[in-house]
Amino acid sequence: MAKKKSAPVQSRAYLRFPFSDRVQHLVMLLSFTALAVTGLVQKYPLNSVSLFIVRLWGGVENIRATHHVAATMLMLIAIYHLISMGYKVFVLRQRMTMLPSLQDIKDAWMAFTYNIGLGKSRPQMGRYTFEEKAEYWALIWGTVIMGLTGFMMWNPLATVKLLPGDFIPAAKAAHGAEALLAVLAIIVWHMYGVHLKRFNKAMWTGQLSEEEMLHEHPLELADIKAGIAGRAPSAAALRKRQMIYYPIASVLGVAMLFSVYGFVNGEQTAITTVPPQIATIPVYVPETPTPLPPTPTQVPSPTPAVAAEGTSASSTSPTWMNVGPIFAAKCLQCHGDLASGGLVLSTYADALKGGKDGPVIVPNDAANSKLFIIQSAGGHLGQLSAEELAIIKAWIEAGALEK
Amino acid sequence: MIEWFSNRLRLSLFLLVGMNLIFAAALTSRAEAARFSQPPVQFVTQGKPSNDYCLGCHGQSTLSKPLSSGETLSLYIDPSSFHAGVHNQEDIACVDCHANISTFPHPDFKAATLREVSIQLYTSCQNCHAEQYNKVLDSVHQKALAGGNFNAAVCTDCHNPHQQIRITDKQTGALLDQARLEIPKTCARCHDAIYETYKDSVHGAALTTEGNLDVPTCIDCHGVHNIQDPTTARFRNDTPQLCAKCHTNAEIMDKYGVSTQVLNTYVSDFHGTTVTLFEQVSPDTPTNKPVCTDCHGVHNISKVDDPATGIAIKENLLGKCQRCHPNVTTENFTDAWMSHYVASPTHFPLVYYVNLFYKILIPAVIGGMLIFVVTDFIRRMIEARKGTRHG
Repeated sequence: MAKKKSAPVQSRAYLRFPFSDRVQHLVMLLSFTALAVTGLVQKYPLNSVSLFIVRLWGGVENIRATHHVAATMLMLIAIYHLISMGYKVFVLRQRMTMLPSLQDIKDAWMAFTYNIGLGKSRPQMGRYTFEEKAEYWALIWGTVIMGLTGFMMWNPLATVKLLPGDFIPAAKAAHGAEALLAVLAIIVWHMYGVHLKRFNKAMWTGQLSEEEMLHEHPLELADIKAGIAGRAPSAAALRKRQMIYYPIASVLGVAMLFSVYGFVNGEQTAITTVPPQIATIPVYVPETPTPLPPTPTQVPSPTPAVAAEGTSASSTSPTWMNVGPIFAAKCLQCHGDLASGGLVLSTYADALKGGKDGPVIVPNDAANSKLFIIQSAGGHLGQLSAEELAIIKAWIEAGALEK
Repeated sequence: MIEWFSNRLRLSLFLLVGMNLIFAAALTSRAEAARFSQPPVQFVTQGKPSNDYCLGCHGQSTLSKPLSSGETLSLYIDPSSFHAGVHNQEDIACVDCHANISTFPHPDFKAATLREVSIQLYTSCQNCHAEQYNKVLDSVHQKALAGGNFNAAVCTDCHNPHQQIRITDKQTGALLDQARLEIPKTCARCHDAIYETYKDSVHGAALTTEGNLDVPTCIDCHGVHNIQDPTTARFRNDTPQLCAKCHTNAEIMDKYGVSTQVLNTYVSDFHGTTVTLFEQVSPDTPTNKPVCTDCHGVHNISKVDDPATGIAIKENLLGKCQRCHPNVTTENFTDAWMSHYVASPTHFPLVYYVNLFYKILIPAVIGGMLIFVVTDFIRRMIEARKGTRHG
């Protein structure tokens, strides 16, 4: 938008925003941005941009902490705004130029019809244009909604004491939707009106030039020139009103600060809860002590009977009749048909014949009988019990007789 | 000429077939002879002792060896269940696993306890099952074993190598239905207390009493072979995705009238958003926000309308809320959680109408702003071109 530079008639600067207003704008700008960023990532948590921001912030708990700090900042600046507004209205008796009026609707209509080529000219506006009023009151509305719904989410226990439980998810829905509305409005309305249409630096410098005043706030300029706007009260009246306003503002201010403190610190349930109780359950609880196939100890073995027989016949020496059943029970699996190592213990003759390396039974000499040596050492596959071995030894010592 | 040739061909074919028959007959008679002479089979090809050769001794139920712990190691292999086992069916030889045994007497076996026997022997499974074996190396069982807990399961505790029947389809590798039904009982060998809880849960009861294969067994949540520690922050943060594997599958859920909206309703709620972000951003960081199992239970998951434990009953749900929010006393707090409902005029109407309000308000406000902004912009462009900007 090329602007024609007209000759500077008299380049006087008009104070539009005093320092206090500029500070309020700055604090709000920062808190709003922080709230928008940390809020929208929670509204759209699975979006890749959100994930990037959450990572950058070091986790969602940090995002929430930032959101809470920014919310507190916004509440504090809102309190400051209310008190300073009260001062302007009640003490300085300034005109309430921000109040919406029927004229604003007329102005908006005039601007719109002019834009679409139906009107003759743009509206002539005062200190605050209808665009600015729309934005201001939208901000007020938004802050109230966000404050109320934010309170419900931050303090769900206090909320459900007064309201049904579904107010909390409803508050969350409204909080998120209102946030979206606010961010979109800022992008469309504020960006266009203050940055795109013309880069308006008044919120930073505090000033507008006469030319700018003439373009944007001609009625205010006229009032200033006529001496109607910004008429200061007399020193006496000022002091009198201050004496009334200061105590009231102090009480109100303290009450509001106390409310904010309660808002922020009243309830921690949404932030810190009892850590989840992970149930401790016994993990290793075996079904049965040893889930194994039946062991030989559980199987009735013929051996004790044989041993009993052996001991009962202790008056006479054992014969093949005594040791044969032991061999049959313990040895024939290998030293039967399989003839492991050439040794077969099925019959008396085979037993005495021995294996491929020679006899394993030396009658009358158990100590030199290979069968007895191997079995005494233990660990043989078909290991004989001590009783059984005693019978075998007795049998060999008695001459390893068949009968 | 052609006829002569075909006659020759026929003759040679006849001779060939005849000779084969004679040869086959000779072989058969040798086989017959072998069956009647003892020992039955000495060796198979590649010089390995045949399984039946080993069973000659190990098929005797009395065969055992005392261990220095005083326990008795049974060396008995039940021939009938061994023959039915997948290893025998696939012609795996005893000595393929017991590779240090080639002759008799066997080399001395040094294990003090029965448990040591298993611990020493299971490593041979890796020779054929390397994939599963390597997964096991990353498992909680293996970590426990490395930490000195000899009770920790090794391959053979779940798969008795002498009796294990085929559990996967040979072509596809998919787990067979019958094998799936057996899984909880397999884990119960060591985790019996958990099994007792599981079998009464909505999932476990369906599996154990109805043979329902839609429900999860142990391995559907815990994995198989590379079973992970389920008490870690990572496992917890991943729980919603784990349950969602089945609970967002309409094919399964529609059969039982269970909502498939459970994941997205959870994720869009405060708790679920938090857990999802933890899972995405810092999976190993614990969060105090609840996951599925904190409200629904772990092994004892019940139907939500179960009068005693179901959390569709507000009284029961309140108890769940109080686990983390002990100051909650009123039942209406439970409505702060939308119980996986998508807001509608019948369920959570307030939320539904708030959403509807903004669905109208946002486009109306922003649309109005856009109309004004765009027309203003166009107007200013026209003015700039004409040079008629006043002032």
